[in-house]
Amino acid sequence: MIETILLYAFSAAALAGALLVLIARHPMRVALALISTMLSLACIYALLGVHVIAVFQVLIYVGAVMVFMVFVIMLLDTRDPSFVHRYSRLLVPGVAVATLLAAGLGHAVARYYTAGPASTSPADFRLQPFSASFLREYWLHFELTSVLLIAAVVAAIAVIQGRGGRDG
Amino acid sequence: MHLLTAIVVLPLVGFLANGLAGPRLGRGFVSIVGCGLPILAFAAAVRCFAELAGAGGAPLVTDDYTWAEVGGHSFAVGFWFDRLSAVMTLIVTGVGSAIHVYSTGYMKDDPGYARYFAYLNLFLFFMLLLVLGRSLLVCFVGWEGVGLASYLLIGFWFEDPDKARAGKKAFITNRVGDAGFLLGMFLLYHALGTLDISQVQAAFATGAPMALSADLVGVLLFIGATGKSAQIPLHVWLPDAMAGPTPVSALIHAATMVTAGVYLVARLNGIYQHAPVASELIAVIGVLTAVFAATVAVAQSDIKKVLAWSTISQLGYMFLALGVGAYGVAVFHLYTHAFFKACLFLGAGSVIHALGGEQDIRRMGGLARRIPLTFATFAVATAAIAGLPPLAGFFSKDEILWFAFASERGGSPLLWGVGAVTAALTAFYMFRLLWLTFLTPSRMSTETSHHVHESPPAMTGVLVVLAVLSAVGGFVALPQFLEPVLREPAVHASLAGYETPLLVTSVVLALAGLAGAAILYAQGPARAERLAAHVRGLQRLLSGGYFIDGLYDRVITRPLLWLSARVFLRDGDQLLIDGTLHGLTSLAQRTASRLSRVQAGGLQLYVLLAGLGVVVCIAWMWRHV
Amino acid sequence: MDRTQFLLALSVALFALGLIGVIIRRNALVMLMCMELMVNGVILSLVTFAARTATASGAVLALLVFVVAAAEIAIAIPIVLLLVRQRQTLDVGAYTRLKG
Repeated sequence: MIETILLYAFSAAALAGALLVLIARHPMRVALALISTMLSLACIYALLGVHVIAVFQVLIYVGAVMVFMVFVIMLLDTRDPSFVHRYSRLLVPGVAVATLLAAGLGHAVARYYTAGPASTSPADFRLQPFSASFLREYWLHFELTSVLLIAAVVAAIAVIQGRGGRDG
Repeated sequence: MHLLTAIVVLPLVGFLANGLAGPRLGRGFVSIVGCGLPILAFAAAVRCFAELAGAGGAPLVTDDYTWAEVGGHSFAVGFWFDRLSAVMTLIVTGVGSAIHVYSTGYMKDDPGYARYFAYLNLFLFFMLLLVLGRSLLVCFVGWEGVGLASYLLIGFWFEDPDKARAGKKAFITNRVGDAGFLLGMFLLYHALGTLDISQVQAAFATGAPMALSADLVGVLLFIGATGKSAQIPLHVWLPDAMAGPTPVSALIHAATMVTAGVYLVARLNGIYQHAPVASELIAVIGVLTAVFAATVAVAQSDIKKVLAWSTISQLGYMFLALGVGAYGVAVFHLYTHAFFKACLFLGAGSVIHALGGEQDIRRMGGLARRIPLTFATFAVATAAIAGLPPLAGFFSKDEILWFAFASERGGSPLLWGVGAVTAALTAFYMFRLLWLTFLTPSRMSTETSHHVHESPPAMTGVLVVLAVLSAVGGFVALPQFLEPVLREPAVHASLAGYETPLLVTSVVLALAGLAGAAILYAQGPARAERLAAHVRGLQRLLSGGYFIDGLYDRVITRPLLWLSARVFLRDGDQLLIDGTLHGLTSLAQRTASRLSRVQAGGLQLYVLLAGLGVVVCIAWMWRHV
Repeated sequence: MDRTQFLLALSVALFALGLIGVIIRRNALVMLMCMELMVNGVILSLVTFAARTATASGAVLALLVFVVAAAEIAIAIPIVLLLVRQRQTLDVGAYTRLKG
């Protein structure tokens, strides 16, 4: 019972945050709205029992990605035309297309998702069991993502270095 | 190689030699080759004539060289030398050679010397092809070729756009006539399967009704003759053709090329004897042209223009004779005309040469004593053309008038009457020319007067020869010689008695013309000009050639040009064709430009379009999955 | 309504809102943040399925998506910085060099 109420509450918070992302003028406020959405989502994950993802959501997404975002927002000058004119020319078409998309997908969710029985043995989404099974079965994906991360690091350095090199 | 082929080929060799190597090898080479080869051709022609006479007039024939075989049809090139061809060939090569020699003097200082002789030789080649050709096809090749040579020679000094235009006019007018000739040939070939002249004549000779109307063919071929021989309505090119060098006018536009039409009709008399309508048309047009041209000649003041219109008029006489069936007489007049007209033209050339380029007779006069040889020859030739006995012109013109009156094939007093009036006018304007140029007190400007000198022997020698021929040439009984080939028409028996009175009338008319000219122009053009002031309109009409050029310009040339410029160029080509192409390209460009707006670097548009694509995919999946 | 269905609907809504944001917001950084929103929507659906079927693979995939999102933002932000250095503005509408 209380779970359902909490679920609805966090979902409402996530939606509200998302709407604020669309509406807020100052990028800082947009960032904070997004952070609140992400935190709500983390709570939802926790409610579902997927604790490890909830934690990583907060750690990586909010803790790294959004902090970086906030850092950059504070770095850049906000006295910008985009501050005055928030929306592009494609406001109406954009909303229309996204609504259609949502309607289509929503329709699919409503009609074709058949409520089936939940699984009998719930997986353990606590940290230790999860990481053990992760590294046991999905170690290849893990290695590949590490390659991806190295590529990203090299790319970031190249972007900064190349610019700096040319500047002398 | 048969001697006949040699006659034709020699001038061609001259053309090639002078055309290709002439400028490099100098004047001497060009003169020797350019004059020598026609003289050789003349010698060969004399030899062939001797052979012909020895064989009693049986024609010489060369083997055929097959030109083309198309399907079941074969076209051959062969030469035919009978009495008529003999006369024509001798005139062409003889008078031609004389004029070549004259040209060495006249064109001495011209930078295009080699080119000139090359073109003259080319002309001779084509003319010989025309008169010696055994089939109408070969004749037509020569026909076209002389038109080409005429164009090249009229526009010889092509740097002057007026002269070039005159050449163009001659060629185009000829072309109009050639269309008729071609149609006639097509009809003949279609009906008879052959263009060989003797076969064609044989087919018509039986007189039996044929699938092909002789009248139709006759009229079509005559249209060709009209173009080439400057009869109404295609005479307009000949006066303008005087833009070419004077020897060219003498050779091509007096003695030989313009007579090609006369030769054609005479040669094909087998057709015309069975074509009464065509013959009548020829006679009427001939006599109308004669009188028309004579009236215009009276009002001309350029020495060469007078002679040009005179040529048109005399050609009209020849066609008059052809039209009433007197084919031999027409050729006789062709023969005498070649002599005196060439002499007149060359004499005019001598005058122009003496005066350093002056051609207006109102600014001449008093030349009789200064250039006596030219004067004497010119006077003899003038008397010949006027028809004073016993000079050549008298005989031929009188025969024509007699047959015009009395021939059973369409002779009538009306034709004679118009012809007689023309004769009087001819005498009048020719003696006017003689007086104003030579015998009146001098109206020359002083520097021209100082410049006057007799022409070199190359020129005067030829003048003398031609003058002598004009004088005695009439005693050769040419019509009788040609009788086996060109029969004289029968004469109305009732009218036989009129022969002598008509003869006397001709002489009286000639003398009247002489007297009229002498009285009016004895002291110069002033008296005549005072008289002309009363009839200024008529004067302008005559000197403008009845404004036929203007008429053609208005009725034919300008509408055609309008059609070309407005309809075909502007609407057809620019609007339709170019417009379609431009329209297509501009459509492609506009489409591309509109489509390229999708990729203008607007990131959000890309995302929107991607989202739209996803929506479409979902919708599709909705319906099909 | 089933919990799973509800959460899936929420995921769709977050994705759509993110898409709207990418299309309509002019600020480059805000656009990036909306893209993060879209990714979050997707992760929600992944986690929902993982919880529903009690398999680890959904959660693993969600983890890997986190990594990729982090790498992506690590590159995207320097790129935006470079762009801003060129044009001195964050307005996406100013980047129209491909036009014409």
